[in-house]
Amino acid sequence: MATTGGGEEEKGGGHRRRPGLVRAHLDAIAAAARRLAKPPMTMPLVEYGDARHPGYRGVILFDYDKCIGCSLCAQVCPSRAIKMYRVPGDKRLRPGYNIGRCIFCGLCVDICPTDALSESIVHDKVYSDVPSMDMDPVDWALWSREVKKEEESPEKPLLRARVDPERGLVYEPVGEAEG
Amino acid sequence: MAVDPLAWLSSATGVPYWALRAVAAPLLYPGLATFMAVALFIIWAERKITARVQMRVGPLYVSRRLGGALQLLADGVRIAFQEIIIPEGAEKWSFVLSPILAFTVVSLAFTVVPGGPGVYGFRSSLSLLVTYAIITLTPILVITMGWASNNKFSFIGAGREALVSITGEATLLASLLAAAMMYGSMDFVAIVGEQAASRVPGIAANPVAALLFFIAALLVTDRVPFDLVLGEQEIVQGPYTEYTGLLFALTMALDYAKLYVLMLVFTHLFLGGWAPFASPLLGSAAVFAKTVGLMLLAVFLRSVYGRMRLDQVASMFWSRLFPLALVAFVISALIHPIYTP
Repeated sequence: MATTGGGEEEKGGGHRRRPGLVRAHLDAIAAAARRLAKPPMTMPLVEYGDARHPGYRGVILFDYDKCIGCSLCAQVCPSRAIKMYRVPGDKRLRPGYNIGRCIFCGLCVDICPTDALSESIVHDKVYSDVPSMDMDPVDWALWSREVKKEEESPEKPLLRARVDPERGLVYEPVGEAEG
Repeated sequence: MAVDPLAWLSSATGVPYWALRAVAAPLLYPGLATFMAVALFIIWAERKITARVQMRVGPLYVSRRLGGALQLLADGVRIAFQEIIIPEGAEKWSFVLSPILAFTVVSLAFTVVPGGPGVYGFRSSLSLLVTYAIITLTPILVITMGWASNNKFSFIGAGREALVSITGEATLLASLLAAAMMYGSMDFVAIVGEQAASRVPGIAANPVAALLFFIAALLVTDRVPFDLVLGEQEIVQGPYTEYTGLLFALTMALDYAKLYVLMLVFTHLFLGGWAPFASPLLGSAAVFAKTVGLMLLAVFLRSVYGRMRLDQVASMFWSRLFPLALVAFVISALIHPIYTP
């Protein structure tokens, strides 16, 4: 019974014949064995960082000195991640940022008249608790400086994924590939 | 005989040779010590092979230079220090004792399955049947585990184990008997002797029985196309769901021990055992290499197939493979003269 089915494929036929039982099993095993010989396609994220596209929308950075306290960002924010706070010793209201609510839409960056807000390429931040995700204006400005530094000098070498038609996903180091 | 440490030990201590052998075979080779090493290697290889087929890397960061080979040791240490939790509604004694008993029963099989020429605990004219009997004792204990756990997944897993073991063991026994009929013997040593004398390995003489034995072994040991009992996505871990710590390690080792024993049996029945060699050392190495190769094939199939449904497995085994076993009997009857001239 198991030896039935020659499984010759009709070439140019209207429909493909189903291969025989034995042939189908051998095909499946051969496909897996072929796959076994190829290198893995995953990225070693312990040693390398993931290079992001320049237009990547990450966390929003805030420059306190450029801010004029117009509160447009708080008005436009669709998820109410940005709220205006009163800062001691400052006449105007300044924006604070709740990163837990942020949807990284970038509307605040677009609407800011003085470019006090900007987008970073960082989004994978970890917090120990929920309250620390909600930053007041001064915290946000200080935190933004740290993120900016981190953005400029990443601690791990970066790799960028590219789809190679023959090899599949290929990872290239960013600095060397772009000269 | 160049070096036989057992004979030396026997003459040094005065303990009879057969007693030393009966202890050494189940404990050292082909028994527990070897099984531990094989299980460490096979589980690592299983994870590595599956990962490569799925374009991943697999275990890597525990011992990078060895490609993560020590990952399983790390897991073992973690499991060894884990608390053994006995659920409130569980039947305490049967819950704790059945995995221990099941693993003990399986390791008894190492006394009769030879690991090489002259390397065995006992030689019996019925050792094939004894091995089969020992292997097929474990499902009862697995069902006990599922029942004692008092968990719905365990109940379902135990029910599946009952169905699967009956289904698989019928085919397993049929293929074993077909092979035994072909050689005219149920003694592993005699069977390997027949193959060595005629220079025809059993797999060439009766490929149908070999195929059936391999498939049924996959079912009995819960390997992937038929891993209904474990069924991770459906019933968590089947009868082993509630087990933690070392008891869980035992339940996991149980299936690998069964696989190891059955692949040893396959080596003797169909691959000629230690056939090209006659010295204990080289012969044992040949048996070991063949067994590990077969186990690698069995774990490789994990990355090829998906899990079959319960009714598919039952209908496949009862309505297709079991009738095929009758064909294996016919082939055995026809080919029988080449082994017993």
